[in-house]
Formats: sequence, C-alpha cells, structure tokens
Amino acid sequence: MRVLVAMSGGVDSSLAAALLSARGFDVVGATVKTLCYGESPGTSKTCCGLEGIVDARAVAQQLGIPHYVFDLEEEFARDVIDDFVAEYAQGRTPNPCVRCNSYTKFRDLLRRARMLGCDRIATGHYAQIERSDGRTRLRRAADRSKDQTYFLWAIDREVLDRLELPLGKLTKQQVRKRARELGLETADKPESFDICFVPGGDYAGFLATRLNQEHAAFQPGPILTLDSRRVGSHEGYCRYTVGQRKRLPGGFPEPIYVVKIQPETRTVVIGPASALESRLVSVGELNWLGEPPDVGVEVSLQIRHRAPEVAGRITALTAERVAIHLSQAQRAVTPGQSAAIYEDDVLLGGGRIVGGSSCP
Amino acid sequence: MSKSIYLDYAATTPMRPQVREAMAPYLGAEFGNPSSIHSHGRAAHVAVETARRRVLEALSASTGRLIFTGSGSEADNLAILGFARRHPDGCVVRSSIEHKAVTEATRALGAGGYDVRVAPVDSRGVLDAEALPGLLPGDDRPTLVSVMWANNETGVIQPVGKVAALCRQHRAVFHSDAIQVLGKLPFQLDEVQIGLLSLSAHKLGGPKGVGALLVRGDIELEPLIYGGGQEGGLRAGTENVAGIVGFAEAATIAAAELDEEAAAWRSLRDRLQAGLCAALPEIAVNGGDAPERLPNVLNISVPDVDIEGLLTSLDLEGICVSSGSACTTGSVEPSHVIKAMGREGDLARNTIRLSIGWGTKAADIEYVLEKFPRLVQRVREFRAPS
Repeated sequence: MRVLVAMSGGVDSSLAAALLSARGFDVVGATVKTLCYGESPGTSKTCCGLEGIVDARAVAQQLGIPHYVFDLEEEFARDVIDDFVAEYAQGRTPNPCVRCNSYTKFRDLLRRARMLGCDRIATGHYAQIERSDGRTRLRRAADRSKDQTYFLWAIDREVLDRLELPLGKLTKQQVRKRARELGLETADKPESFDICFVPGGDYAGFLATRLNQEHAAFQPGPILTLDSRRVGSHEGYCRYTVGQRKRLPGGFPEPIYVVKIQPETRTVVIGPASALESRLVSVGELNWLGEPPDVGVEVSLQIRHRAPEVAGRITALTAERVAIHLSQAQRAVTPGQSAAIYEDDVLLGGGRIVGGSSCP
Repeated sequence: MSKSIYLDYAATTPMRPQVREAMAPYLGAEFGNPSSIHSHGRAAHVAVETARRRVLEALSASTGRLIFTGSGSEADNLAILGFARRHPDGCVVRSSIEHKAVTEATRALGAGGYDVRVAPVDSRGVLDAEALPGLLPGDDRPTLVSVMWANNETGVIQPVGKVAALCRQHRAVFHSDAIQVLGKLPFQLDEVQIGLLSLSAHKLGGPKGVGALLVRGDIELEPLIYGGGQEGGLRAGTENVAGIVGFAEAATIAAAELDEEAAAWRSLRDRLQAGLCAALPEIAVNGGDAPERLPNVLNISVPDVDIEGLLTSLDLEGICVSSGSACTTGSVEPSHVIKAMGREGDLARNTIRLSIGWGTKAADIEYVLEKFPRLVQRVREFRAPS
C-alpha cells in the first residue's frame, strides 16, 4: 500500500517514515511548504523552513524513498493565517496548529496524496489510531507527556479513516533512540515550540504586518475592573489574552488578570484569579470524530495544550454548541482556544471555546 | 525506486561512457595545470588545446576563438555583460524567450541604466524577425542582438539566418545561445554570420561544469573573471581540464552520430506527441505549429490539472520530465516562454517538457503513453474543489 508521510524534517516524522517503510509500506515523503518558508529571513525554523525541507529530503534519500515539496502556501494563508488574524482581531486567542492540522496538514495533504495514488497518509504526531468493528478511533499517545491529540480534534472523518500514526505507542526517548539506531541524521534535532509563522512569538508584530494599522485591535482602549472602574489604558487589545498578567496596571491588593476582552469597545476587563474560574464551558464550531456523544455523558475536557484534563458532563448539545459542566472550576477558559473532548483516552471531538461561566 | 524513464535530456543528460573514459586520465595521472612549464603542465595544455580544436570542428567553424567557461550560463553572461562592459554606451536587444541566463543578465544591465530592448515572438514561439530592425537603436551605438538558436522549453528553432543577416546589415553583433542545439541540428557555422555562440557540455552527454563561448571576428569583450590570463584573457582561472576534454569528446561523438540520432529522436518524439494527443485531445503542443523544432523536445500544456500533482505522479511511476520552471521547493511558476507565446492561465502554468536523448528507447515512449493519460485522470479526480 502506498502511504504519504508528511515529513517536517524533524525527528518524529523522520522516524514515522522509517517505521512505515520497514513495515513494507510504499512510502512517499512530502514536506508541506507553508508561509514561514522564505518570509522569515534569518530564522532557521525547525518546522517548515528551508532547513526542514533539506533535512526531510536527506532522510528520504537515506531511506530510499521519494520526497516532494508541496506548496500549500495559498491554502495555509487562507485557512490558517487569515483565521489567526481574524480571531485576534476579535479579541480571541486561536490555536493555529489545530487549523493547520485539520486543513493544511491533513485535508489538503490527503487530497494531494490521493492524486499520487496514496491510499493513506501518515504523520509523526503522538497519538494512537485504533481500528476495530469498522470504526476508527483516535486515542491519546502512550506517552502522555507528548500526547498531541489536543491538536487533532478538528480533522475530518475521511482523514481519520486514512491516517497512520506510527509513533503512538512510543515515548520521545524511544523515538530518538530508534532514530539514532537507524542513523537518521535528524535523530538529535531540537524541537520547535513556536508557532511557525510567528518568529520569536511576537504576535502583535505579526498582526501588524497583516492588519491595517487603523484596526481597532491596535488602538488604545480602557482597562476596566469587573465593576467597570477605569484603572488605566492599553495600547491595543490584540496584546492581551484571557488569563494574562503582563501589561496590566499595578497597585492592587491581590494579583490581577485579564478576565475578558470586549473588542467592540476595545475594553480589557481585569479581575482577581477567582474571576477567571469557570464551571461551565461553552464550545462552538464543533467537530466529532465519530457519532456525537449524548447529553448527560461523562467526558473529560482539555482546554489548553499540556493542561491536565478535567472531568465534566455534557449538559446541552446542538449541532453548533456543546455545554460542559465541569467537576471542578477551571482557570482562564479562553475564548477562541480549542477544547478537546475525551471519553477516557479516546478523543471524541472538540470545538472552539465560546466562553466560560462560573455558575451553571 | 526501481524503474526510471529519463525524458529530461533538455535539462541534462547522462554522460556517454566514452566521455567518461576520455576524461579519466585527467582525473588521475594527468593532473597538471596547463599553465605550468613542466611535463604535467604540457600534457594538460595539449589536452585543452586539442579539445578546443575538436569542439570547433564539431561546430564546423573554421574561424573564431573558443573560450571555455564554467557553464552555459557563464557563456551567456560573458557574451552579454562582457559586451556591455566593453561598450558602456551600447544597446542590447534580446528576444522575449531567452534562457534565464540571458534575461537575468539583461535585467541586471537594465537596472543599471543600460539600454535593453526585448523582441517579441508570435504564438508559435518564433521570433518576429520583421520587428527586429525597428528595435535597433538606428544610430552608430554598439549593439548586441541576443536570440537563441532554439528555445530550451519548446524546442522551437529561431530564424537565426535572418537575424544574422539583419545584424550584419545594421552592424550589430549577433549572439546566439545554442546550448540546446549542439548535437541536435547540423551546424554549418561558416554559413551563418554569428558573432558569439554559447555552448554547454552536459546537454550532449558531456560533463557538468563546462561551457564555452565562441567569439568570432574582432568582437571585443570585457572579461567577467580577472586573473591569470587563461582563455585569451577572457576567462581567468585554472582550466577544468577533465571537463574540457569531456566536452570535446561529447561534441565529437554528437557530431558524428547526429544524422542517425536526430532521425531516431524525431521519430520517438513524433510517436510520443501523436500518442499523447490521441489519448488526451485537450492538450496543446507548445510550438507544435512552428516551422521547425528540435527533434528531441515535446512541450505540452495540460488543461484542468494540478501540475505539481501530475509531475509528482509521473515521478512516482519513474517518469522523469520537467515543467516550465519548477524549482526544488515545489512551486511551479508559469513559464515566461509560454506566456510570451500568448498562452494564459492553465495553459501557461500547466506545461510539461519531455525531451529525448541518446539513452531513450522506443519502449520508454510506450511506457509513458500507457501511464500518462491514467495519471492525468487520477490527478483530475482529486483536484481541489474550486
């Protein structure tokens, strides 16, 4: 069977290609070229820069498999960057990696793969594919510290049915060890955690290149307390995210945080830690990897990458929204961020957080 | 990857085994520097000068100085920039379908304020020679006209005889990039009044890294590389002796085999063209209606297809071809040559060049004819929703 492996040039996808090749798959390697290549001079991004292409190609050559570069800049700009900018402009905090996975890295890649006669696609994500009774489930990685299912809630079912994730049962240490044993030259390559198109994590700087300088997100506005008392001003709400402590006025008896961003009045609302606590989370733009769960079902919710999951119960469900009542309060439920919904360690699906509230 | 059908001879060619053999001594025992006075140097010197004579013979050129360069692109640059630097008040006229080595060199000149003019081609990809006199400066300024002998993408042969005559009449220097032509068309260089001619070894079964510029008459150029006075002072740097020897061997073989090989290639190319057009009537043959084409090149536009997907699919079946101007990072830009012929959109972007050479067999063509239409169909099935 012919399988297309998305190779970023990092150790994970390098080993994924090697493992599938060893399992007898007819492996085709591909590096997806997104915006970051060529537009961030001086950086040597490990995700998808020129270096990534060169490394992926070297590994492919070593494995004796073909390797191609897919230019998906246009698709990436449309589906990932435009959304990223629009969300920040609305005072929300998006997860571009989720968009990239669901659109560019999987949907567009699968289409390309099918063009090339590949029946399957594979990546180096840490997550487990389980196929039984004609159903495909996505489970958390065996190595929970590396689990990446949080980023995969938005993928299509068709993609899931055709997806191979050969690293799901391995730990990062095992991956590096196997890569070293195979002599892969990416075995000891450092990992990248930045968002690939925002060099150095300077969101405001990036937004400034994409949005009109006159946009409300860059204009000064008031900083208000929860009881609407003006305590200062800010230089643009796009520099704030819910739960943030930086760039806020001082002089309060207890630590204060951003509690809310109101783009229509350019207001940043602040409050104490207790004001950030939510028991009820509302999630929109839903995607289910299988049948949607029923109301009343016990699930667990993850609202941030690397955050621990929290137990909860589905209290309302429509095609557009799900409401989840948490067993314990969560801090900084951030509008725009992804909420991944699990049953045990199976990813059911997820959506984008609309908001949280303290009293259900 | 097992099967490999190489149909990209216009990009580069596998070296002929005889060429490798001819080069071998100069990669081993005969390592001398041609400028040295001792025995090693003399042996190398003789090798380079013999090679020079053999290439001139292959060109049927009885006069002219052959300047070995590091590539065909360097030969083009030496012609264009070497002329312009010698004549700072001059003018360069080029065709709209020149190789990037010429278009980029003239772009750089133009950016520096030099007088650069571009002559159009018609929809067949043939230079409009009638338009040329109108583009010449019409005064006594030194002028260089650069028109390739045959286009590298379409294989369309340009009216170099007419251009040469016009240049002579207007006292302009005629430069022609003949990199795709050597070994594919009989050269009777003494019959065409060409002043400067660019050549390259690796397109005809020779090694990479060696080209040449033929300089005829009293044409004066400024060198691009200064140094020890090699190549008549026009190209300093210790000679690539093995490469130069390989170039001569390849040129000699190509000239000797030309009639037979060109006829065989033409028949393979025609079979390929007829077969593809029969299976996919919607494809357009770029330059197919030109009066003359190189015998080994077929350039087609495939409508309604994701060209990157098709090129990749072909490669996965072991079919090595090239697109207009694909680069290693995967993006395919519309070809300036096909655009200059008035094609737009899909037809300008979705071009594929298949080019034949000394290793091509009839079975290779049949294999491509079997696979190509199916791959086009599969790529179309999965194209992006518009």
